Amino acid sequence: MAQDYAEYLAINVLNEQQLISYRSLSRALKVHVNLAKQMLYEFHRKQNAKKPGSVHATYLITGIRREQTPAQTNGVHSQKDGEDTVMQSSPPLPESSAPVPEESAEEPVVVRSVLLVKEEHLAQAKTTFESITGIHIYSLQANGLNDVQSLTECNRKIAVDYASEDPLVAWKQYGTIQNPNVKRRTARKGPPPAAPVTKPAEVKLKQPAPAAKSTVPEKQASKDSNTNSQDSTTAASKRASKPPSAKATPEPTKKPAAVKRQDSNIFMSFAKGKTKPQKEESQSSVEAATPAAEPEDETMAGFSDEEDDAAEEGAVADVGEVANEPEGKSKRQREAELEAMMDQEDEVMEDASPEKSADGDEGAIDKPNSQHPQQPAKDTIIVENGRRRGRRRVMKKKTVKDEDGYLVTKEEQAWESFSEEEPPPKKIKAQPAASTNKSAAAKKDGKPGQGNIMSFFGKK
Amino acid sequence: MASEATTLRNIVAAFTDFLTVAIHTILYERAIYPQTSFLSARKYNFAVRQNRHPKVCGWINDAVSAVEMELLKGTVERVAIVIFTKDNKPAERFMLDVSRFPTATLADLDTPLERKSANGDNISILPKVDMEEQFRATLSRLANCGSTLRPLPEGSTFTVAIELKGVGQAPIAHPQPWMPVEPTKQDDIDGRVQKRAVPVRAVAAGEMMLECWIEEAAVSD
Repeated sequence: MAQDYAEYLAINVLNEQQLISYRSLSRALKVHVNLAKQMLYEFHRKQNAKKPGSVHATYLITGIRREQTPAQTNGVHSQKDGEDTVMQSSPPLPESSAPVPEESAEEPVVVRSVLLVKEEHLAQAKTTFESITGIHIYSLQANGLNDVQSLTECNRKIAVDYASEDPLVAWKQYGTIQNPNVKRRTARKGPPPAAPVTKPAEVKLKQPAPAAKSTVPEKQASKDSNTNSQDSTTAASKRASKPPSAKATPEPTKKPAAVKRQDSNIFMSFAKGKTKPQKEESQSSVEAATPAAEPEDETMAGFSDEEDDAAEEGAVADVGEVANEPEGKSKRQREAELEAMMDQEDEVMEDASPEKSADGDEGAIDKPNSQHPQQPAKDTIIVENGRRRGRRRVMKKKTVKDEDGYLVTKEEQAWESFSEEEPPPKKIKAQPAASTNKSAAAKKDGKPGQGNIMSFFGKK
Repeated sequence: MASEATTLRNIVAAFTDFLTVAIHTILYERAIYPQTSFLSARKYNFAVRQNRHPKVCGWINDAVSAVEMELLKGTVERVAIVIFTKDNKPAERFMLDVSRFPTATLADLDTPLERKSANGDNISILPKVDMEEQFRATLSRLANCGSTLRPLPEGSTFTVAIELKGVGQAPIAHPQPWMPVEPTKQDDIDGRVQKRAVPVRAVAAGEMMLECWIEEAAVSD
């Protein structure tokens, strides 16, 4: 280790004439930043002992400065000698161990300064400080640092080169300051692949690897049922159990599974253009993980009452069952799906109460639907007497508030009966291609002599 | 830069952007103008300095457009930013070798360029990320080189010069943005006048191939 750093620094600083900050050294050698600072200091000392002036250092001083005349502290451009970057900041430097003195209600406000200083100005800078709480080498370079700005390049390189390291893991090694309360935001599922799942036919989802998701405990059991009748009870129990359930409590895996099942119903509906009919059998027996499978229990727990409706609606809507996903979907995948899902969100909609009535209808329609093992992908359009009747699938939007406080608008496919006295309405949106063509063709045939407004719809 | 089709014009445009930033950086480093007259800016995701004086900026822009015109004709071999001392003696030259640029006739300036590898795949003409990274490295080296060079005497000034390839017409038609000068032979008075060359960087990103080095004239009195 001792050899490595000397070698590394010799190559980079002397031969390649790069600027090495303590942070880049710590990342490159995978050591704690404090150790990296010591390495920099040692190297600097040794090299300058061998050959004075071969290595230049930039120091970082933290402390309380003496009273300064205002003229010195305005703006970037007023740096006379252009080397000191005066950064007045109250929090101390992360690596500095001194706490911030909170002296309030006194006339002179204590200002803790963090100063980047070139080595030639070090002595001078030190005198401007009343008390120094921390001083260490910030970076080394072979020749003098002409432009302090070039130090920014070091950090940019770190961000690029070490982007793959998870900061929540790596902070211990590097010594970055970590807030113990921070937690990674749980990713929500993106649109699952098309496979219908009705609320009754709840899909058992795979547990994600991280178990620390809160779940809604008791209602999970009820989720296993495949019948519609359970809907209300599950909803009710969900509501009841929501208050008690807390976030991030490890729960038996069954619960997460059940919750996810429920979530998957909701998240299934995120998928656009899903047209698979609702499958009846239950996918409860199938360990299917939809992309919505991950749904962290926290999202469930956080759902407001609207969510209940959403859940039902989602169940009613054609949601797809998805093929099994590998266990332990990584957080990144989930986050990616979250992004994908977020991209799909449409405008925020009103609250759930109007939806509730729709739920009843949907539920009713749902039952007959669930009878059929496989619904045709297209609408059933029955032409009678020149009227078109049938059930068709439309996208409805529902806004729910998840536990993170985000309003999530989901597009759900819902069956809806329609009957027209005239050729079918123009606005049929998320249809499968076949039926789209069919209806588009139908539209075109109908009413050629219509006014301009129909030609507008005709484009669809 | 062009999204799909890169033309010679795009390549030249990318180079002239770089040239502008390089000139500003050199002016800052060598303290031709007071360093306080420079503003911090960002280019290629990198902190650079830019002069604020309108006349300086205007002059640099004019010079760079004149270089661009010559580049489009394909006659330029090297671009030089020359630093003169007060006595009009060149003290340093920052050379950019652009002889490897693709050349095209006037009609083909906007024709998309294409290069295929051995197995017929398309090679990117101007890989933006790669190129930016290399430009960034070059600017970083340029910025640091200021410390390796000898300090310039007071009152130095600068200009932009181009060295042409053998073929082609020298741009001395009216209006005349360029002044023709005789190539100054190295004076061999006092034995050997030493000219030191410090390599800065070579950029090779798709078709953008250029080299950069610094020539320092002999130790002036």
